[in-house]
Amino acid sequence: MTTEELEQLLAQQPIALLHRLARGRVQRHFRAGKRRLIEVLLRHSAENRAGFESDLMTLIGEKPVHPAPPPPQVPTARKPKSTAPQRRSTHRPVEPESHEPGVTLSSWLEGLGVPPPKTFVPDAWQEDAIAKLREGDVVVSVPTGSGKTYVAIEAARRAISENRTVIYTSPLKALSNTKYTEFSKIFGADQVGILTGDRRDNGQAPLLIMTTEILRNLLYDAGGGEIDIRLDTLGLVILDESQYIADPERGVVWEETIIFCPSQARMLLLSASIGNPHDIAEWITSIRPTPCHLVRHSTRTVPLRAGYLHPNGKLTPLFRTVGIPHGHPSHLHPEAKRLFAQYEDETLPSGRRR
Amino acid sequence: MPPSIHPVDLIIALRDKHLTPAIVFLTSRRACDEAMQAFDHSHILLPPPRQAAIAAVLEKVIAQYPSIAEHPLIPTVQRIGVAAHHAGHLPSWKIAVEELMRHGCLDAVFATTTLAAGVDFPARTVIITQSSIRKSRDFMDLTIGEVQQIAGRAGRRGKDLVGFAIVTPSPYIDLNVLTKGFTGHPEAINSQFVISYPMVLNLLKAHPLDQIQPILAKSFAQFQLNQRAEVLQRKLDDLGDQMEPFGPRVCTDWITEWQTFDQVRRQKSHRAPIRRHEPPEVAARFHFLTPGRVVGFARGRGVVLRQYRSKGQKSPMITALREGGGITESPASTVTEVSDRILDCVDAPVYPWCTPESVEELLHHLEELPGRLPELPILIPKDNEPIPDAIVQTLGDFACPTCPSRSACQTDYPLASKLRQEQHRHVKSIQALRTSLWHRFQEKIDVLQQFGYLTPTAHLTEDGEWARLIRIDHSLLITELLRADAFNGADPAALAAVMSSIAHDDDRPGAFPRVSSGLASLLGQVRKLAVSLSPHEDPPLLRADIAAVTERWIGDPTLTWIGLCKSTTMAEGDIYRLLARTLEFLSQLHTLKATHPGLADTASRAIAALRRGVLEELP
Repeated sequence: MTTEELEQLLAQQPIALLHRLARGRVQRHFRAGKRRLIEVLLRHSAENRAGFESDLMTLIGEKPVHPAPPPPQVPTARKPKSTAPQRRSTHRPVEPESHEPGVTLSSWLEGLGVPPPKTFVPDAWQEDAIAKLREGDVVVSVPTGSGKTYVAIEAARRAISENRTVIYTSPLKALSNTKYTEFSKIFGADQVGILTGDRRDNGQAPLLIMTTEILRNLLYDAGGGEIDIRLDTLGLVILDESQYIADPERGVVWEETIIFCPSQARMLLLSASIGNPHDIAEWITSIRPTPCHLVRHSTRTVPLRAGYLHPNGKLTPLFRTVGIPHGHPSHLHPEAKRLFAQYEDETLPSGRRR
Repeated sequence: MPPSIHPVDLIIALRDKHLTPAIVFLTSRRACDEAMQAFDHSHILLPPPRQAAIAAVLEKVIAQYPSIAEHPLIPTVQRIGVAAHHAGHLPSWKIAVEELMRHGCLDAVFATTTLAAGVDFPARTVIITQSSIRKSRDFMDLTIGEVQQIAGRAGRRGKDLVGFAIVTPSPYIDLNVLTKGFTGHPEAINSQFVISYPMVLNLLKAHPLDQIQPILAKSFAQFQLNQRAEVLQRKLDDLGDQMEPFGPRVCTDWITEWQTFDQVRRQKSHRAPIRRHEPPEVAARFHFLTPGRVVGFARGRGVVLRQYRSKGQKSPMITALREGGGITESPASTVTEVSDRILDCVDAPVYPWCTPESVEELLHHLEELPGRLPELPILIPKDNEPIPDAIVQTLGDFACPTCPSRSACQTDYPLASKLRQEQHRHVKSIQALRTSLWHRFQEKIDVLQQFGYLTPTAHLTEDGEWARLIRIDHSLLITELLRADAFNGADPAALAAVMSSIAHDDDRPGAFPRVSSGLASLLGQVRKLAVSLSPHEDPPLLRADIAAVTERWIGDPTLTWIGLCKSTTMAEGDIYRLLARTLEFLSQLHTLKATHPGLADTASRAIAALRRGVLEELP
């Protein structure tokens, strides 16, 4: 392919494709307009022309055919191409297209509303986590918004009733403040204290809120010989948002805290959904006296639906199904697919595709 | 069509479908602020009772945090029921917005994605407009975990039956990233264990050196390294099984033996150089007989048009344009003189090997040449004697040619040697995985010993005893500054200003107040030291303009928060964070009361001066 041919080919592609191509090749490619982007890409392609061209071809091959056909009315009209095994040899397996038309907007929106007020009944996993905490440390990995705080509150309540100190840590000062207000309402203002780098409010209270860094420093001071009375009666350490252990800058603080946490205290790690919570649990089991239990739960308490809103205000479901089709990212709603293709077409600054 | 939906239309669409309250995640703070401005003249007002509800909640928050009473966004929040929430705002404003959301007073909050990880307030709907976020100065695709964290804000427990995550496109959105994020499993997380100087000091304070390695082994980092090592170990065991048939034969280490033998054999077969029977001067000259070269023959001169080797004899030949216009083919040995002159000549693929025009031109030039031309100095190599090859002579030393297992060795060698190489590689990597943390720790010990915080036996020196209390970023720079007495006689304002320039790690540009000359020279010293420490610790940005903000705030106790904000283009929230971080650094200095009473005193005066107005509102 000559450079001119390549340039022409690039000019025919949608800008989104160019950006995907530029990813990892060009710095700050998102700042560039199409013409500039092509220029930079061409300059870059000199380094590894063959690789560049093959990536481009893969991307072009991947791209859905535009404009997307309208939702097929007759489901059996298409031939079953998914049976061809050689098509699967591409790096992304071709999913068998399912041919039912997507859900309608009205059925997608159905069920929207406020549930009737009912008394709070804890979920099974919440009770499980609290029960397991009697036997040892617990790692909780559940989706955002599932009610991790309930577990924290119940566990803290129990430890306080046993005259033990509870330390609750969060990664951010802002979160600490929110929790301070929230816990003060639940436990009473005299039961909750907050420690920051330069200030301590109610520092002898049974439930102490601080950032993880502060707790780490307390543990270091204890290790260095300065005995802090609170660490003796410490019964429970709650590390909220403990997926921060993977934070490039601050993750090490969580590790230090867990390594140096006094052995008589129980640990409760609350984390958003992560891919390998069992690794964390296994690790904690391997370094602490009591076994660590993993409480995992992947369904959301409030079901989630995904939608697509076109800039002209038209709303459609994003997927063919009402809920999220887990494991099937390509099950897009035909209407959403069509509208997004149209969007990509129209936001193209020049050289529209035919 | 606009590249993305207008905020007003967005709110109208959401209200229409009963999808409020919503959190709208936008790419930047600026996008959030612009979205708020879009409502300035819109008429999608809230009904009066809801406006009153917002006012009531705001009043309560303002009573607690008076700093937001005059907030410029309040009118829009009250009229329309939308708000912006990002890192550029004061924490108290963010609390107010969160409070409003919790009471269900707002229809939408425009927020940046940083919110997704930070503060916890849910809504019925989240709107996603981007597929990448800014991380350390470059845009990165959202990970599956991040998409789910964002989408997780949709659906309030007890208040919604379902939650909605709605994608609305904006330029550079990649729908694949988002659909994968919705439907996929979150990524595994990995340890980010770094060994810092304070960690080394604190560990060595509490434990003797020989107990450190077991402590490091307790880290999640080592846990994950061990996992990788185990995988390699398993591979290694497999390789061991595969190596079974390749055990000792006639010689114990037959693989190495065959390898050397094979190498020698190959080298031997290679030494049969093509012999050309041409005198060395002809061979040396031939390289220079390129098209356009002016050469002398026994009679007359000529210009080389091409060179080639004759088919039969392989002897070097040239085609030359002779004076008078004849084109001759002659052996290179007939050239008597090679001149240091090349004429322009346009190559052609067929006889006469250059274009007719250039033949004309060459002839013309050839005739115009002066009588004597400088001769090209050509180095003629001596007859290269064959180097006596030690290896060739040793070929007879090998037992292989007559060995009974020769054929077996020959067939098995390629596979066996590949397996053995892999074995060696795995053994090495396992070794590295098991010991890398400890090596990193030792490197830090070496540096600390070099600077005198640790004795040669890895005990804390007097300096090390207090240095371990500084547990913040850039700790080495700070402790070195203290040892150099850099803050001797510095006033609280200057101390705090230097600390804030060390603490601040954002390179967002802007306009800032001027820096005083005393502070500027102090910062100059700090910078010099930071550069000299750069092999051991990355230097901080040390922005003088940032230092000036802090200096003003502390230096002038009558300065109001509004006044400070007006003196710079920095966002309120950024100033707040800067000062809060400075407070943190100062309070670390304050812990050095025992060894540095003067400094601790200055630090505590700086803390007292810093903590006023807005900074006093929150613990």
